[in-house]
Amino acid sequence: MNPTRVFITGIGVAAPTAIGTGPFWRACLDNVASIAAIPAHWLNYHHPASTLWAPLPEFDYLHYNINRIERMQIDMASVLGLCACKQALDNAEFPTSLKDDKKNTFDIKGIDPSRCGVFMGTGMAGIASFAFNQAFHCFSPIKELLGEGSRADHLLRMPARFNPFAVSQIMPNSAAASMGIKYSITGPNTTFANACAAGTIAIGNGFRAIRSGKCDLAITGGTEYLADEFGGVFRGFDIAKTLIRDCAKPEKANRPFDQKRSGFLFAEGGAATLILESEKHARQRDAAPIAEVAAFAESFDAYSMMALDPEAGVIKKMIRDALDEAGLTPDQIDYVNAHATGTQLNDEVEARVIDDIFGKRPAVNATKSLIGHAIGASGAIEAAVTALSIRDQAAHACKNLDNPVRDLNFVTTPAPCEIRAALKNSFAFGGHNAALVFVKP
Amino acid sequence: MSTPTVKQRVDSIVKEVLRVDPAKIMPSSRFKEDLGADSLDLVTLIMALEEEFKGPISDEEAAGLITIGDAVNFIEKKAGLQES
Repeated sequence: MNPTRVFITGIGVAAPTAIGTGPFWRACLDNVASIAAIPAHWLNYHHPASTLWAPLPEFDYLHYNINRIERMQIDMASVLGLCACKQALDNAEFPTSLKDDKKNTFDIKGIDPSRCGVFMGTGMAGIASFAFNQAFHCFSPIKELLGEGSRADHLLRMPARFNPFAVSQIMPNSAAASMGIKYSITGPNTTFANACAAGTIAIGNGFRAIRSGKCDLAITGGTEYLADEFGGVFRGFDIAKTLIRDCAKPEKANRPFDQKRSGFLFAEGGAATLILESEKHARQRDAAPIAEVAAFAESFDAYSMMALDPEAGVIKKMIRDALDEAGLTPDQIDYVNAHATGTQLNDEVEARVIDDIFGKRPAVNATKSLIGHAIGASGAIEAAVTALSIRDQAAHACKNLDNPVRDLNFVTTPAPCEIRAALKNSFAFGGHNAALVFVKP
Repeated sequence: MSTPTVKQRVDSIVKEVLRVDPAKIMPSSRFKEDLGADSLDLVTLIMALEEEFKGPISDEEAAGLITIGDAVNFIEKKAGLQES
């Protein structure tokens, strides 16, 4: 018997270049990037070697079924996740109806909520709320001791109170839980904390839940919010020498796969949600597939907490496993959306892996060259890009790629691109690797 | 337009947090017994009042606020609150 086909029927994105799938995808194809100086007040605490980041645009959370009272109770990672989730449900044309006015929760019409799951990835959702509540905890006695107007006032940044919802703000599972509560979804609800591969792994697990028959519908993706009030998360990546070092020309600083790359661009945050649906469920409601998920594979380097295994044998096996599951040969992959952080080792290893398995035929690009690296959300945002590339038969460019690290078919200007099958790779701190194969339905 | 009074601002927050029938919003209305607030609603209400009036309300102070009227009186009397 043929395995259950799994369609992507809705996509929502909140990214540094735009909020909303349409504007985000247009920005990708217009080669628009987000890059700016880090917040000035972070320099009160530390002078990092990297001075650039990819900030998120301001947006009105009220448009995404989040009210002012809820905003006081949840972390920004949940806000971003809910924003992407609302967009994806709308994009998939699922009507919703208000279930509880006080709780501001909804029912999704026409589904069995027990056959719908939520599968979300994150690296450290809640970290900003943790830092801010901890600041109140540590700084309020200091402030009282020093009195108003002390020389330390500018350092003692803290909220007006210790948030009574602090625990639920800092739980990494809060984003997935907030989606399940918001839309009354009672099937499996799981969070994958696999750093930079979390979003990809979450989508893969949603795919498996449908393919195994456990679910008809899966809300999958990733979310992240990394901008704590003090720049401490940024400092963690900076001191590990992973962030962009060459910051003199901001517009040219972020350059994955270029010989002059100097690290990854830290993103303030982001989220993407992909609605996965069994073919039967999608057909019953006449939903048009954006792309089809054909395979998911994962592996673990067992090598280093912070660096890829340069031999990359484990990654190559994973990609071959994914191709086997999809029933495809390497020459049938037309497009690779690479992990492509822009660090020296990562890009060198990934380019070599792509060359070894696929040669110079498939188009290759790096979404992080436009939006930086939003850790647990990155794989989900890039999976969204991969699906949209298949839908529109177009690929965005690797921004700032002047002298490629290797001779591959890198996309250097946005262009139409025939894509029947595509691969999305993610590699994470810890050693977690994941790959998704999407095909044109 | 005239500046809303403390009472109007408190009423508005109570309505926003508890989503109750506006007819039930009276100075004598008790948050728990009359308006159906549970313990999470009560901490949310205090948090929203703190944000509205730009100042802290301690747990001890919050424990004394049984009715809408109690909250209005407390805010009108406490120095440092009421900033619009």
